[in-house]
This record gives sequence, structure tokens and C-alpha cells, in this order.
Amino acid sequence: MKTLDNKRNRLLMATALFLGLGAVPFFAPPFYVVFLNDALIIACLSMSLNLLVGYTGLISFGHAAYFGLGAYACGLLMKSAGLPFGVSLVAAGALGGFGAALAGFFCVRLNRVYFSMLTLAFSLIFWAICFRWNDLTGGDQGLSGIPYPNLTWISQMLGRPDFSSAQSYYLVSLVVVAICIAAMWIIVSSPVGLILRTIRENEQRSTFIGVETRRVKLAIFIVAGTIAGLAGGLFAIFNRGVYPDFMYWTKSAEILIMALFGGIGSFWGPAIGSLTLLLLHQETLAFTEYWSFALGIILLVLTLRFPSGLWGLFKRFTNTRRSK
Amino acid sequence: MELPSLSAIGAQAVSGLTTAMLLFLVASGLSLIFGVLRLLNFAHGSFYMLGAYFAWQFNAWLQDSFWLSVLFAAIATGVLGALLERVLFRKFYDRPELMQLLFTYSIVLIVSDVVKYIWGTQQLGVRRPEILSHTFQFGELALPSYNLMIIVISLVIAVGIWLLLQGTRLGKTVRAAAFDREMLSMLGVDVRMLYLLVFSAGCFLAGLAGALVAPMSAIVPGMDADIIISLFIIVVIGGLGSFWGTFLGSIIYGMVFSFGILFIPQFSLFAVALIMAVILIVKPEGLLGRENTR
Amino acid sequence: MNTTFMQLKGVKLLLGLLGILTTSIAFAQAPIRVGFPMILSGAGGQFGTPILKGAQMYVDEINAAGGVLGRKIELVPRDTKSRPDEAVRVARELVLRENVDFLVGTFTSGEGPAVSVIAKEAKKVFIAVAPKTDRLTAPDAIHPYVFRAAANTTTEGRAAAMIVAKWNIKRLATIAPDFAYGRDATASFVAHIKKLRPDIEIVDQQWPKLNESDYTPFITAQLGKKPEAVFSVICCGNFDSFARQAGAQGYFKSISNNFIGLGEAGSIEALRALGAEYPLGVYANTYDAFYWKPKDTEVARLHAAFTKRLSTAFKDDTPPSWAVQGYISMQFLVEGIKKANSIDSDKVSTALKGLEIVSPQGKITMRAKDQQATRGMLWGKATNRDGYPFPILDPIELIDPTLFMD
Repeated sequence: MKTLDNKRNRLLMATALFLGLGAVPFFAPPFYVVFLNDALIIACLSMSLNLLVGYTGLISFGHAAYFGLGAYACGLLMKSAGLPFGVSLVAAGALGGFGAALAGFFCVRLNRVYFSMLTLAFSLIFWAICFRWNDLTGGDQGLSGIPYPNLTWISQMLGRPDFSSAQSYYLVSLVVVAICIAAMWIIVSSPVGLILRTIRENEQRSTFIGVETRRVKLAIFIVAGTIAGLAGGLFAIFNRGVYPDFMYWTKSAEILIMALFGGIGSFWGPAIGSLTLLLLHQETLAFTEYWSFALGIILLVLTLRFPSGLWGLFKRFTNTRRSK
Repeated sequence: MELPSLSAIGAQAVSGLTTAMLLFLVASGLSLIFGVLRLLNFAHGSFYMLGAYFAWQFNAWLQDSFWLSVLFAAIATGVLGALLERVLFRKFYDRPELMQLLFTYSIVLIVSDVVKYIWGTQQLGVRRPEILSHTFQFGELALPSYNLMIIVISLVIAVGIWLLLQGTRLGKTVRAAAFDREMLSMLGVDVRMLYLLVFSAGCFLAGLAGALVAPMSAIVPGMDADIIISLFIIVVIGGLGSFWGTFLGSIIYGMVFSFGILFIPQFSLFAVALIMAVILIVKPEGLLGRENTR
Repeated sequence: MNTTFMQLKGVKLLLGLLGILTTSIAFAQAPIRVGFPMILSGAGGQFGTPILKGAQMYVDEINAAGGVLGRKIELVPRDTKSRPDEAVRVARELVLRENVDFLVGTFTSGEGPAVSVIAKEAKKVFIAVAPKTDRLTAPDAIHPYVFRAAANTTTEGRAAAMIVAKWNIKRLATIAPDFAYGRDATASFVAHIKKLRPDIEIVDQQWPKLNESDYTPFITAQLGKKPEAVFSVICCGNFDSFARQAGAQGYFKSISNNFIGLGEAGSIEALRALGAEYPLGVYANTYDAFYWKPKDTEVARLHAAFTKRLSTAFKDDTPPSWAVQGYISMQFLVEGIKKANSIDSDKVSTALKGLEIVSPQGKITMRAKDQQATRGMLWGKATNRDGYPFPILDPIELIDPTLFMD
């Protein structure tokens, strides 16, 4: 009985959050819409990484590659081929998933640091391809001037013809991200989620109980890659351009840091970490150029004292309160 | 496409060797630290960068005394490494790998901004010493004496470290620590001191490499990030923890990159990443590695 | 009782008038805000910082003279870290949160078009300070709000071709960083040199990555093809290490110094950094040089006065060459505002088209047809001259870009 209530509460809270976020363009100034759009996409991306790092114990250093692949797919199809948004977005997810399947097939055979190194190697390969295939991808300069899809039907449907493309697009992003998060939630709370955690705890033992660890790892790798690809597709349009930077290892490191900062031991942790870091980044840059230093200190403190991130801090705080 | 002449190929091989030796000089420290301390030090590129900046600084203070600047820069980097090991790095030896990597990455971020703060964003330069400004000419092949010096020093260091590890008592202790540190401490060896020594030796090597490379390339923020990926590729190809593996990995990297430019100019960058992937797929412990990887 | 009532009313009236007065003064005092996205960190920071300072210098001059339309100008700088997606983010932040009235900045050819899209989205005038890629003002990317104060790869490449066409050589090689700027400049050079000297053969082309630290294999490969001259776009701070490594391998000697370096290979920064190691006898270009003595007396006067102010601002007798670009870009913006007599971007955009300014290097026009300034560059030959702490370009001349603009 109690768990059912808990689940229902959680569902209610999530729906409330969704509706609350959806209301933002109606009331808030355009800047908040843009900022939240960014945050939503990045949160989705870091949560997809968390499927690997937090739930399965697979530390991927190359996750940004699938984000980038999705971004290029969507950007190229929309700008150069003129295909509609829906098709391009699906293609983005597909390319992300495909890249993850290709890399994952080899990566899941390795353990620990070697797994991480191979994910890095694959991301470098994908990056090098995008970087050098000048004719297709625009090389170092990337593709700029990616158009917004035609979203006037949204503003008309909502009775707000004054909505700019940015505001309508925010709502589209919100819906796509919500679907991805719902999918991730379903996976981790299902028996599959339990299996992932078992693999994380002790992979060898899980084979003893009959788990086909390699298959499961590959499957989750592909799922994570697909969601990253979708996030990439969303971002390509949001950013109005696609650049090889998106797939470089420094981006993978950023996502990893965001996930860790929020707390890889929880579902929502990475989302909170992404939002917080994006906010901090913005505010810090407004008065100093030494953001790397600030981020480095945050990361240092995190790894030294708070490995479970913000979520861990929050849990510790609420636990101590409850015990009073 | 016309095939290049034999001497052109020879010239390309020599330039590949120069690249290789340069990278080996930096990578040797990384390999040593991983081999003994089991720590994959992302910040190794930062010590390399610090070596270059220290060299510039000492050069400015000592009025262009090249060799002294290089020596002091390497020592300064080693000392800084020792300090950081004592205060921070040693807390991470038994932590999960993710934490180790993220911690060392935090050091990368912090050091890069500290360097920017102290020395600014302007590109700095150091001059080669007079006696090494000459270029040897072998037919079509032009070999600057400075490059030759780097090749020689790297080889000397390679052999030197190997002899140290194989022949001396200290070396044997260090190798033992790589195998079983608990047993070693039970035998009465001060393992903590040993770790400190090895870490600071690794940083010394990185600083030395940075100081030596300075006159050839630019001292600029960002040189830490540029090199660390090449280093990872090298140690993975050669075998994490294998000393001669790192040497081999450097040679392969240098040659593939150099000949890649000659034969497949669009893709030399792609080629080294591909080799890293192939090695990890086919022989993940690296060409000369002996780790358990699956 | 009546008196107090009247007194009260009077006081209220006075207060009201005072309120209106102060509000209108406050309103009139509200500065014109100009967002300045620029690289301020990493390897590119060494260019972005002088550019920002040059812009600030102009802003200080204008503000000291009373501002524009009775209002002061305020620069709001942001670091783009030389990443286009960061440039997009800060541009949006500047427009939507800092409520800037205009955007001036960007350095790389990736940042420029990225911010241009945001400027179009926000309908704010954007003046690109440094990006040279033709793609910024290409027919499929141009819109009323983007203007370029920099030179572009077409004029730069063709000017180089004009110089090289006079050389007595047949075998030519090119080396350029593998990104938009390097490729576009090389393409425009090659197309033009083929027209001017169809007898010249391109024997080798090398494309090291931007910020390559080890040029040795590229240099070796190029020397293997035995060129007689080299066209280079090695730029952005990389020229130093390239020149050192190339010099060590006898590169410049083997081509008898028939080398032309674009991308500000002849900037003060490069000349100073290389010092005695700078390859003498090569050709290079730069945006500005404190030692340039223009033939036209009026331009000479303006330039000397500008250089003096620059030296004071930078506390350096040999001030950097990049500052002038920040200065000129702000000059265009302010003159545009003055001509439009408004800060409305649509009006300023119309005003900018065809606008001619008198810059410290002479008259420059912002062409209406492609929203590109007739910005030339200084080209010269590296040599040692007494009285200077490092080699300078001599002879040096400002090549008129309109010769090469369609």
C-alpha cells in the first residue's frame, strides 16, 4: 500500500514539475525560456549518461560523441536536406543509437579503465571524422544557420500567436525531454534496473546468477546513446548550429562532472547537477573569466568530501532532520 | 599520386622519430606513475605545461641561462608534484577510478587558470641555446641539432630508468611496490615515501619534457589539454604500466602520425585514434602490457 | 489652513517636477550597452584581450567627449572561449538578460556566423570584429543586422596572389591550418594566382590542425616536394612555433625566403615573440604596425596620434596590432548610431550601409552590397632596422582591398 502511494506521489510530483515548466513561456521573460531550454537538454543528456555511470557502473568517457552524432544528423537533415523536424529528430536518435551500438559492441567486452579508454577512443574517431569531412560537416567551422522548424501551429493551438520561435521550441524540447526521462524512469524502476545495479555491484557474481551481462551492458549503452542522440538533435536547433566541439572529450568530461555534481547515485541527481552548474557557470562568467578555476575547486571538493554529490548532501540533511 | 622518394621517406621517418621521442619524454612519467601507483594522472599534461612556464620564468630571471633554467624548471615541477602528492594525491590511491580521474581533472582545471593568472594569455617563447642552433644536413634530410639532442636525451632517460628499475635496489623496491604494496610494507619498506618519490620523479620528467620542448614550440595556455590525449593514446597502445610499452607506443604514434601526413594527409589524426581502438579491441592490455582487462 | 494646503500642493508639485526631472535625467543618462563577445581565455586570449582594450579605448574617448546622443557607451564583455556554442550562449545572455542594444565582437570564423544567427534572431546589429570567413556574409547567410569590420579571406588571399605573382618562381606550395579560415584563404589565393600566373604549379598542400604543436612532419613532407615558394596561413599564435621549427629545418633557406605569411604572421606580437628567430626576408601581413609611416600626410597624422594613445593605454611603446580592430569596429557602430540618430537596430543598419568612417588608418567604407568594410591590411617584408627591439616589416604598405572586391 505504502509503496503504491509513494509511486503515485512521485508521479504527481513529476507531472506538477512538467506542468510548471510548461507554464514558463507564458509568464517569464524570454531569457528564462532560453536558459531553461538549455538546461532541459543538458539535463536529459547527463541523465542518459547516468544510466551508464550511476546505474551500471560503466564509466563512459565518450558519451558526448553520440550527442554530437545526433546533433549533426538533425542539423544536416534540416539545413541541407530540408527535411521536417520530426524526421530529423528521429534520425538524430537513430544515429546516436547506431554509433553507440558500433562502439558499445567492442567496449562492453572490456572492464574498468580499459572500457573507459575505448569509449574515449571511439569518441575521438567519431570526432576526427566530423572534423575532417569538411564537405559534409563543414569541418572545424561546423554548420551554422540551422533553421527553427515551423512551429506556428503550436502558438496557434495555445492561443498565443505572439510566441516567438524560441518560446514554441522550448515547449517542443520540454515534451521530448519529458518522454526521454519517462522512458529512463521506466527502465530503472523495472527489473532491468535491478539487473543494472547488480552488474554495477559485482559483475562476476551477476553472471553466476544467470545474467547475460554483456548483452545487458550493450543494450543500456545503446539506449543511453539513443537518448543522447535525441538530446543532440534538440540542441542542434536550439543552438542554431552544430560544431565538432560537441563531440570532443572535453564535452564528455563536462557531462560527467555535471552528473557527479548532482549525484550519480540517484535518478534526478544529474539533472540537478546540470542545472546548478549551468547557473553557476553563467553567474561566474558575469564577473570573472576564471571559470575553470572555480569548476576545478568545485570538482576537487566534490571528489574529496562529497562523492555522492548534491543529492547525497540533500539526503544526509533530510535524514538527520528525520532522526530528530 | 606520385610515390615519394626514398630520401623523402627517410626524412619523414626521422621527423616521426623526433615526434616520438618528444612524446616519450613526457609519457615516461605518466607510465611510471601508473605502473607503480596505479593512478592514471590526467594532470600529467599540466605538469608538462608547468615545466615549460617554469623554464621561461627561470630563463627570464637567470638572463638566458638555458641549461640551468631547464634543470631548475624540472626540479621545481618535481617539488611541486611532491607537495601536491603529500597534500592531495595520496588521498586518492585507494579510491574508485572514477574519483581518481575526476580529481586529477580538477587539478587540470585549477592549474590551467593559475597559469593564466600568473603568466597571462600571451604566448611566450624561449630561445634555443647557441650551441644547438645548428642544423645537420644529410642530403635531403635536415636534422636540427636541437631535435637530435631531444632524441638522445630521451633515449638516455629510457635506458637510465630501465637500468634503475632493473639493477638497483631502489628500482627493485619500486617494481615490487607495483606488484604488492602490502607485502612490501610488511617487509619494512616505507611505502608512502616510495610513492612520494615515484610521483615526484614522474612530475620531474614531465617538467623536464616541457622545459626542453619550450624552445621548439609555443608556451601557451592549452598545451596541457593538447598533449594529454596523445599521452593516453601512447600508453594505451604500448600497455598501461609497461615502460618499454610506452616507448613502443611513442614510436608507433610518431611514425603513424608522420607517415599519415605523407600518405593519407586528411586522416593522420584519425589514424592514431583508430590504432588505439584496434589495440583496445584486439589486445586491450596493450602491445607489451600484462594487465587483466576483461 | 488655506496656506498650508497651498503649501502642501506646492510641495507636491515641486516634488512631482523634481521627480520628472530626475527620471528624465536618469533616462538620459542610461548608457548605450554594447555586448562584446570575445575570446578572453586560452590560446586565443592573447588576441581578444588587446581587441577589447582597443574597443574600450575608443569608448573612453567618445564618453569623454560627451557620449553619443547624450548617452554614454558601456561595453559588456563576455568570454566565448573560442567555442561557437559558448559564443551563442553568451550572445543570447547579452541580448536577453543584459539587454544590450548591439553586439560587437567574435574572433574565429566559427564564432562569427554562430553569433550572426543570434543577432538575426534578436534583430540587433552585430559587427564582426575579426572573422574573415566569406561564409559570414555569403548570400545564404547575410541579413540586415550583420556587418563585418574585418578583412575577408577573398581580399586577403587575392592580395597575397598579387604579391606572389611578381616572384620569379614556378613551384608553389601552401600550408594552412585545417579550418574554415585556412581553407578559404588558400582557396581564394589559389584561384587568383592561377589567373595571374597560369604557369605556376601547386606542388604541395599541407593542412596541419589549428594549434598544432609539432609541425615537423608537415615541414618535412613539404620540403620533400621541393617547392620554390610557400603560401602560408599559419596564424592565431601558431606562427611562432611553426617558424622556429621550420627555421631549424632550413625551410626558409631552401625556398630562398620566398614565403608569404597571412593571418597576421607579421603582427607585432609575432615579431616580438620570435625576435631574432624571425625569418628575415619573408613577406607577412598585419592589421596595424606602430612603425608604419603612411604616405598620405593626413592619414600619417591620424595614425601617429592613434599610436600615441595606444602606447599610453597599453603602457608599451610597441603596442599590439590587434587593438585597432576593436577600435575601428566600435567606430563604425558609433558613427552608425550618430547617422541614424537612434539606437534602433533597423535604423542603425540602414545607416551603416555605405557609411564611410575616418579611421586611424584612413578612410574605410562599410559597403552596402555585402555589408563588408573595405578593410585592407598592411603587407611587408621582414627585415632588421636600427632602433627597433625586434625585426619589422619594411617596406610595408596598406594594400587597397577594393582592388579585389567584386
